[in-house]
Amino acid sequence: MINDVTLGYLILLLPLFTFVVNGLFLGNKCAKAAAALAVVCNGLAAASAILLATDYFCSDYAPQKAILFEYVFIPFAGELIAKIGMLIDPLSTMMLVVVTFISFMVNIYSIGYMREDRAAGRFFSLLSLFSFSMLGLVVATNLFQMFIFWELVGVSSYLLIGFWYHKPSAVSASKQAFILTRFADSFFLLGIVLVSYVVGSFDFSTINDLSLSAFKATSVNLGICSMSAADALILGSVLIFTGGWGKSAMFPMHIWLPNAMEGPTPVSSIIHSATMVVAGVYLVARLFPFMAACGNTLTLIMWVGAFTMVFAAVIACTQKDIKRILAYSTLSQLGYMMFALGACKMGQVVAVTGWTASTFHIFTHAFFKCSLFLIAGSLIHQVHTNDLDAMGGLRKKMPLTYICTLISILAISGIPPFSGFFSKDEIILAAFQGHHYAVFGLALLTSGLTTFYMFRLFFLAFHGEPRHEGVRAGHVHEDFAMTLPIVILAVPALLSGLLGKGIFEKFFTPGKLHVPQLLKLAHAEWIPYTAVGVAILALLIAWFLYASPKAKIARALDETNRSGLYKVIYHKFYFDEMYYTVVRQFIFGGVARVSRFIQDYIVEGILAFVIWFVHKLGDLVRTAQAGYLPFYLGTLIVGVLIWRFFGQLPL
Amino acid sequence: MSQYIPNFIIPDALLLLFPFIVIGSRLFCDYKSKIPWRIANFGFIAIFILLNLIPLASGEGRFFISNWRVDDFGVLMREVLMVSAILGMWLSKDYFEHGADGKPQMHQIAEFIGAIAFATFGGFTVVSACDLLTFFLGLEIATIPMYALTAWNKQDQMGSEAATKYILMGSVATAFELFGFSYLYGFAGSLHFNEIQHAITNGTSPLLWLSVLFLFCGIGFKLTLFPFYTWAPDVYEGAPTPVTAVLSVTSKATAIAFLVVLVYGPLAPIQQQIAPLIALLAGVTLFVGNLGALKQSRLRRFMAYSSIAQAGYIMVALLGPATMGKTAIVYYLFVYAVSNYLAFFIFGIIGHHREETFASLRGLSKQNPSLAIALAISMFSLAGIPPLAGFFGKFHLFFSGASTGHYVLVAFAVLNNVLALFYYLQLIKSAWVDEPDGHLTPLRLTKRQRGVVILLSIAVVVIGFMPFLSDNIFAGFNL
Repeated sequence: MINDVTLGYLILLLPLFTFVVNGLFLGNKCAKAAAALAVVCNGLAAASAILLATDYFCSDYAPQKAILFEYVFIPFAGELIAKIGMLIDPLSTMMLVVVTFISFMVNIYSIGYMREDRAAGRFFSLLSLFSFSMLGLVVATNLFQMFIFWELVGVSSYLLIGFWYHKPSAVSASKQAFILTRFADSFFLLGIVLVSYVVGSFDFSTINDLSLSAFKATSVNLGICSMSAADALILGSVLIFTGGWGKSAMFPMHIWLPNAMEGPTPVSSIIHSATMVVAGVYLVARLFPFMAACGNTLTLIMWVGAFTMVFAAVIACTQKDIKRILAYSTLSQLGYMMFALGACKMGQVVAVTGWTASTFHIFTHAFFKCSLFLIAGSLIHQVHTNDLDAMGGLRKKMPLTYICTLISILAISGIPPFSGFFSKDEIILAAFQGHHYAVFGLALLTSGLTTFYMFRLFFLAFHGEPRHEGVRAGHVHEDFAMTLPIVILAVPALLSGLLGKGIFEKFFTPGKLHVPQLLKLAHAEWIPYTAVGVAILALLIAWFLYASPKAKIARALDETNRSGLYKVIYHKFYFDEMYYTVVRQFIFGGVARVSRFIQDYIVEGILAFVIWFVHKLGDLVRTAQAGYLPFYLGTLIVGVLIWRFFGQLPL
Repeated sequence: MSQYIPNFIIPDALLLLFPFIVIGSRLFCDYKSKIPWRIANFGFIAIFILLNLIPLASGEGRFFISNWRVDDFGVLMREVLMVSAILGMWLSKDYFEHGADGKPQMHQIAEFIGAIAFATFGGFTVVSACDLLTFFLGLEIATIPMYALTAWNKQDQMGSEAATKYILMGSVATAFELFGFSYLYGFAGSLHFNEIQHAITNGTSPLLWLSVLFLFCGIGFKLTLFPFYTWAPDVYEGAPTPVTAVLSVTSKATAIAFLVVLVYGPLAPIQQQIAPLIALLAGVTLFVGNLGALKQSRLRRFMAYSSIAQAGYIMVALLGPATMGKTAIVYYLFVYAVSNYLAFFIFGIIGHHREETFASLRGLSKQNPSLAIALAISMFSLAGIPPLAGFFGKFHLFFSGASTGHYVLVAFAVLNNVLALFYYLQLIKSAWVDEPDGHLTPLRLTKRQRGVVILLSIAVVVIGFMPFLSDNIFAGFNL
């Protein structure tokens, strides 16, 4: 019988093995073998993860933490030891299942999607690298391991966004994503340094066990200023959150995610919707007791999440690029998860509904959003464009895809009994229970917006008359390898909410908290009805605008006759342009030019002088070596005199 | 008999007998006979093996007739000297078969090897000495054969000129040495190291400082310290290549052993006071050596400056505490001997077919890649690049210097390493980057050359990859 530890090793090592073998040996020479290996290994990893999860949740041990294995990586000093290990608790087990399963699906899908790409071997290799890194991240036992794998997922994301490196837009998108997340990660690293310095440990269990009152008395010197240890921890918690802020593309660091859609669609599906971008949420969930103990950090998290949620949903309503709509939708859903975590805090007490809701939403969202991206990839593969303008009327040509799309879209809209309904309902409930009524209102509003833009996409793509010659001519068909994962994913998109609710409510709590817990939770039976009502209203509006027999599609897609507000939203509030301005004018034009000047004239000048000087000295030594014996003999005498006077002997 | 002759003395006795046997064997065989060569090989290797069988003893060591001390440092230094003698002998063999580097063929290999053996025995004497007289004798036994070796090639005018310079300057240095010894005797009233140490512990006087100054200046000549190094580039270039190699290793090892015995023996009580002098000598020497090496075009002249700089690096370790300093120096000398001989073997191979200049190395990587790899290994090791042996050697040297707080000197030495890297890399650049020159004659390696180059390359890499070897040397001292 394979025990849990072996399963743990298998889950982590199978993707790594695939990466190494595909990267070094199979590569592009035999792309088919590479694809087969990737599918088999990731399938086995998924099976192992599911077995492990079954074992874990069926045992009596369930809600407790277990460490399957742990190795010392770098012993820094005393207790401060960086370890590499595998932590098993409900949260990480859930993530293991999600990551391996999605990875398996995406690998199958990629067989179809990358069939004509000459670099398919490289693609499968990098995809497995990502899976390995993401798995390493979710099972991290400590901040240090998390940071290592955090950077690894960043690198694999960079490599995969820029996979088609012959496209300049892909290259610039990959650079943007990497630089922006690295920018956030530098704060994350600072936070790790600060917290581990104060606490003296990287371990999640130690950090989560802190109670701030113990640190009030001591003070730490941070070099530039000194503050009390408790304040340092609060600062550290904000810095650590900044890492998740960038990785989960929260406003205003959101711009990299829509641009990252330049990568191949399977990549967008696994990395930029289902798994990597939730790493930020996962980080906060993992450190939740610590964050809850640290002053108002959770409130900051809530507002960042809530704002991103509305902001992205508004933009998504106007976009025409199918992948960008989904990207903004991802941003909006990440906002949901983030604010649900933040909304747990009210004053000095904490309610944990939000934590459960947020992790639940990670789970359900992964399936339906991954499915939606795969569908988008399928459509793009058939129509050869991302533009909704050119789609339409695909219902007849792609019936299976059509049904699966409908399931996923109903799920994201929060219509019962589809999965999104349960998790989103809990999130909205959490906002209500935390007495954050403003955020509660925003969440309801966003719920409506979500339904609107998703159905807008749905109607424009599948209904109406075909607006593309290829579709009209009947060149469109469903690819088996690509449709299979879409169909499989439709099952959890439909059922994961219904079946998962019990497990999540039973097992998913953030662990021991050091803040008083709110015991009396408000129950509001009317919330689900309201939420569904809003969603159905939004659905009807979308239908009226884009699908009813009276709807004028051509007019709806026409851009010339628009109000100013629409244009601002359509251009994503000009955030890309603002970033470019700052980067070009301030960084390239200002800081970079000054450093360039210093480099060119001062540093290089000093270097050139040193080189010149050393060579002159070398010439001097050489000239002294004239081969003239009396001179040589003279040096002996002079030498004695030199050392007599400069040798510092007490003569 | 064996209870009267302690076995730790056997290698020394054999080495003393050895030259007479090798030279004497010439009387019984004809001019072209290979017998002396074979005897020499057998003898040197046997002595080396016997040395390895001597267990390292801690503390005072063992005495033979109260005046000949064999301690752990002495045994390890003997091994270094024997390694150098064996490699020098192997390197020289080809020069007795045909001429090289524009110089005619050499003759009388038996006497040549005998001279090397005498020089080596001189080194043995230095590390075994317990009194000033033996000490001085050892130094002279080690030096005088070098004068003869330098001028071995009688038809070569450069060699004769070099030997003249060498012997004249060497005489002045010996005079300094004797002057220093006489003052030391005057100060302490005894020739014996222990009594001198005792006298110094009881108090110092200007007499002592004057003697220290002259002793350092005298040995500075042999160790090529600033500004007494001036003979080295001329002699290294004028002497036959194998003699240059022996000079740069055996002679240098003897000189540094002399300083180690002096500084950690009779002068131990005033090590603190002479530390500034040592630090200055080390710093200036390594700087000047590096500067001189920057702009050379002839390989042996280049190696002369390189070995001047290396002497400076070795001096850094003398600042440390006794155990650490000795360990670092012995380990570094092993590494230095292996790396340096590897370089000289490669230069020798080139010299057999071409001129010994940088230009002859051009395109080596395309014509003879394995030789180019060996060259890169040797140069990287001399420059101190991890994971090669040279890095760990330098690390221990600097560590020893830093352990007594000479951070400025160590920082300066490390910075100088950058300078050194520049010229070592130039050599590698010639071999790897420059386009081959069509006019260069192709290289052919004999079996012995190939074998030795491979052996030494592996040694440099392996010693580097197994730094515990140096830890073992440490352990030997700490027993």
